[in-house]
Amino acid sequence: MMKSLITAIIALMVAMLGVSAHAATPLQLSSNVFVEKQVVRADGTRTVVLEKPNLVLPGDNLVFVVKYRNVGTATANNFVVTNPLPQAVAFNGTSDGTEIVSIDGGLKWGALKTLRMANTDGTSRAAQRGDVTHIKWNLNQPLTAGAEGKLIFRGIVK
Amino acid sequence: MITDQTIFPRANFAIRRLPFAAVAWAMLTVSSPAFAAGTLAGTDIDNIAEATYDTPSGPVTIQSNLVRIKVDELLDVTVVTTDPGDITTAPGATGNVQTFRITNTGNGEEAFRLTANTGIGGDDFDPTLTQIVLDTNGNGVYDPGVDTVYVAGSNDPLLQPDQSIIAFVITSTPVTVTNGNRGTTGLTAVAVTGSGAPGTSFVGAGQGGGNAVVGTTGADADANSFLAVQAASLALVKSATIVDPFGGNRPVPGAVITYSLVATVSGAGTLNNLVLTDPIPVGTAYQTGSLTHEAASLTDAADADAGNFNGTRISVAAGNVPAGQTRTITFRTVIQ
Repeated sequence: MMKSLITAIIALMVAMLGVSAHAATPLQLSSNVFVEKQVVRADGTRTVVLEKPNLVLPGDNLVFVVKYRNVGTATANNFVVTNPLPQAVAFNGTSDGTEIVSIDGGLKWGALKTLRMANTDGTSRAAQRGDVTHIKWNLNQPLTAGAEGKLIFRGIVK
Repeated sequence: MITDQTIFPRANFAIRRLPFAAVAWAMLTVSSPAFAAGTLAGTDIDNIAEATYDTPSGPVTIQSNLVRIKVDELLDVTVVTTDPGDITTAPGATGNVQTFRITNTGNGEEAFRLTANTGIGGDDFDPTLTQIVLDTNGNGVYDPGVDTVYVAGSNDPLLQPDQSIIAFVITSTPVTVTNGNRGTTGLTAVAVTGSGAPGTSFVGAGQGGGNAVVGTTGADADANSFLAVQAASLALVKSATIVDPFGGNRPVPGAVITYSLVATVSGAGTLNNLVLTDPIPVGTAYQTGSLTHEAASLTDAADADAGNFNGTRISVAAGNVPAGQTRTITFRTVIQ
């Protein structure tokens, strides 16, 4: 616990240093959340629309969109995006399946199907989407100046 | 770094050596409480993404904007009766107790308005409502004088998500009912914030500042429990045999009349404190010491035994007689 706390503090300090050292951050990261709402069209058919929510209900389907863009002039290497899942949200998959996840608060990472969750009686079971606490994408190619993209994952309000 | 290893949380190892540390770890890492109804109303869902990358001057970590959305209050309620079956009652009975459990299945703290329904159709009689009582001591049993009487709008039970309360509906049974009749008592619970068609929204009325939205139950639920009358009824049959002084059976002076009184209890249940009395007919005289109950002799004095003769009538206290049984009394008189 102490070790991870120290790691977190160091990460925070690095983040602060990073921001101050690069007043104009060469990379931009933005987060957006949408909720899926069923609407009935005038002809009676139903369609699903994405709305910007302020208020949601348990069971609502959320779509998280993380956009990134290199607005600097230098290439960024080893670009990694991490999104801790809000506690009230159950993970419901990503659009591309290239993510790795953690089910223990970010200690260990892997593809969901490779992870196992310990039961209280000492046995374990295959991890499920509802167990996910963090999502991470390792973008394997360098992010050149002007490059951009977005990462999408879905969640359900618990 | 991607690891393909099977992952066991650290608690797995700590449990054996350091139970306390394992518990502490579990408490720290456990996610939000799992309510059946979902995340607590008013909870903020905050999302921030983080990215790291390398630049020529070293690694950099940046964070995205914060997106905050609030969880609305879902209004839901269920009511069930916990009575194991029909509650037995009797004609004119008071204090029938029928038990219901009200559960807040929404995700916010909510008060519920209770209504007892006794005028439900499809049954044989309508019970008369005495009062609704809340099981304030939480023991599931009606404790008169201890549990609090419910007054609508004054002590509407305030329930946390997933919390339940027991309510007792106290009724009386009309005197006119007969054995086998059934009467229905219902209890309705409605969310005080609002109810209606699922999806109905009450802007700003939710716990924590969001909206309150009616869930699948309509925030309005009811349940019924049944009263079944178990009534015993009594039939009396009186017969007489005459023995005259001449060995015949003519009703002449000096002839002895033996009266037999047979009480038959039918229906269901028990007749309590059955007392049989019979005046001695004019023109006859009671024969001292002739009174019997179930073939056992009784004294004429008003004493410990069940029978007496007070000069004008005989009386026998037959006690509690269950349905299906009979009690037979005999006595003799002499024609004057």
